[in-house]
Amino acid sequence: MHIWRVNVNTQSLSKDPVPDAWDRLGGRGLIVQMLLDEVPPDCDPLGPDNNLIFAPGLLVGHKLSSCDRISIGAKSPLTKGVKESNAGGRTGLHLTYLGIKALIIEGQPAKHGWWALHLSEKGSRFEPADNLVGLGVYAAAALLNERYGEKVAIALIGPGGEMLMQAAGIQNTDNENTPSRISARGGLGAVMGSKGIKAIVIDAQGGEKPPISDQKRFREAQKAYNAALMGHPQTQVYAEYGTAGMTKISNAFGGLPTRNFSSGQFEGSENISGENMRELLLKRGGASKTTHACMAGCTIRCSNVFGSDDGDSIVSPLEYETIGLMGSNLGIDDLDAIARLNWELNDLGIDSIEIGAALGVAAEAGMMEFGDGERALELIAEIRSGTSLGKVLGDGVVSTGNELGIERVPAVKGQAMSAYEPRAIKGTGVTYATSPQGADHTAGLTIRAKIDHIDPQGQVELSRNYQINMAGYDSLGACLFSGFGFAAAPHTIPDLLNARYGWDVPEDILQQLGRETLKLEREFNRQAGFTKVDDRLPEWMSREPLPPHNTVFDIPEEELDGLFDW
Amino acid sequence: MKVTAHLHTILQRHTPEGLKGRLDVNIQPGSTVEDLIKHLEIDLEPDYLLLAVNGRVAPLDQVLEQADHVNLMLPISGG
Ligand code: SF4
Repeated sequence: MHIWRVNVNTQSLSKDPVPDAWDRLGGRGLIVQMLLDEVPPDCDPLGPDNNLIFAPGLLVGHKLSSCDRISIGAKSPLTKGVKESNAGGRTGLHLTYLGIKALIIEGQPAKHGWWALHLSEKGSRFEPADNLVGLGVYAAAALLNERYGEKVAIALIGPGGEMLMQAAGIQNTDNENTPSRISARGGLGAVMGSKGIKAIVIDAQGGEKPPISDQKRFREAQKAYNAALMGHPQTQVYAEYGTAGMTKISNAFGGLPTRNFSSGQFEGSENISGENMRELLLKRGGASKTTHACMAGCTIRCSNVFGSDDGDSIVSPLEYETIGLMGSNLGIDDLDAIARLNWELNDLGIDSIEIGAALGVAAEAGMMEFGDGERALELIAEIRSGTSLGKVLGDGVVSTGNELGIERVPAVKGQAMSAYEPRAIKGTGVTYATSPQGADHTAGLTIRAKIDHIDPQGQVELSRNYQINMAGYDSLGACLFSGFGFAAAPHTIPDLLNARYGWDVPEDILQQLGRETLKLEREFNRQAGFTKVDDRLPEWMSREPLPPHNTVFDIPEEELDGLFDW
Repeated sequence: MKVTAHLHTILQRHTPEGLKGRLDVNIQPGSTVEDLIKHLEIDLEPDYLLLAVNGRVAPLDQVLEQADHVNLMLPISGG
């Protein structure tokens, strides 16, 4: 494996051997080490000193179920701290087939212009992408597939990234070449835009699977992992209902963000539930699919295709976070309306969590009525047109709150909260507060733990354990939903790594990777100027009781500050 | 005594009127969450279930009261 380093200023590529310090790292853990080694933490995230890094996780490359995720990272223009955002799709697998341990995109273009970066066995080439400028990702990806064939993987930005909006992500194509597997969070699309890259096309033809040191052991561990995964009832829930099954769970706990985080229960929750979505999709047929794999080899298949009444596809996938932020948080109880909003944001290449939260704030400021899906579409059209209002919204929830003078802004470290109310699911509130990534459920979601979620006791420890495990999974390239399988057969993690690389890692390698990753991320943020004041939820959440439990966020600050003392 | 059971995802019931996620159930006074699970003939190991009474996580031996709302869930993670 090699490190591929592309300089956008000189439009050159160097293929370097992997330095020892990076050798045993992958995904999120590798990204933070590379950032600490090469990116000044106080640099301008959209300037020449930031690097955009694509790093497949350590287990990527073998079509191991749900384990081919790509981690993308940089210094975040949104949080101004460390950022890793991972996604499914094809990008991870195809980079690995080319022998790429990590791809670094560095520098800044000498003159303004847009390029498609083409990677193949022959190396890299820059091709003019002027014909793609201004296009949404669906149209742009279709043109790229026409030109480069159906077999390539594509990572690309939409108009949001071109306009350097801080909520812009990077879309990755899935197995059917739909560009909707988004590395959504933290503004990585703006970093890609600042480098003048509209799309990265990865042609892995002629490439091969990465070597496996001990085939037999690998197959055995894979078998045990698959059996644990398929034997788990949650796998069936994901396959049939997808993450949308979470809507009713959050609502049951009073933790479903509703009308700009002013309530934890939504009277329309049944309509936007995964249960209702499944019935609807089964009835509609046509393009609708209740189950779908975002990558080759995933046996969980939590994804879906949300189709319209007349059989066409509206969006794929429709996920819980979008349902929470663009549905209940906006007072919208209609899945079709949510799916259309989701399609628009996908096409713009923008994070639906960040914009859902921003629109909630805009609604509170009187820019739209809660429940008015048409008005929400109009506001998203402002983003597409790049009007001054659109730019404010496109820079996320904090920018919107500042501009419109709203105090109730649900964000930490500049990044919007996901669809779990931290006053009702307090362990997840601890994660939002303390994660070096900013508010993000994927950093350590605690809702499935058997703990009283509104009792402050025990939440810090719970969040710590989840954060450590998640940072570990993010370093393996493992989808968060594979965790059920790995948790039921934990030995398979060291077994797979040892068989793949010929290493001798300890039993608790997942936690070791996780702890080390979090420590380095904290260090990057410290050097970027973060202090413990940044590890807090917004103050209004400790003052304003949340119905129906009427609880505030009341985890003592000293406890939050002790989370990383292990 | 009457309680309301909210059955999530794969725990929903097939009935002649279609899938049902909400059932009003008559049980003996003094029944626990575990008794309710048995009464509903849910054959999954209770360990796999996430249980909440009136919006708060509840243990299997929690005694139910008239008009309680019990959520029976398979704990997943969002995405
Ligand atoms: S479980 Fe879902 S998100 Fe994870 S790899 Fe499979 S389809 Fe993709």
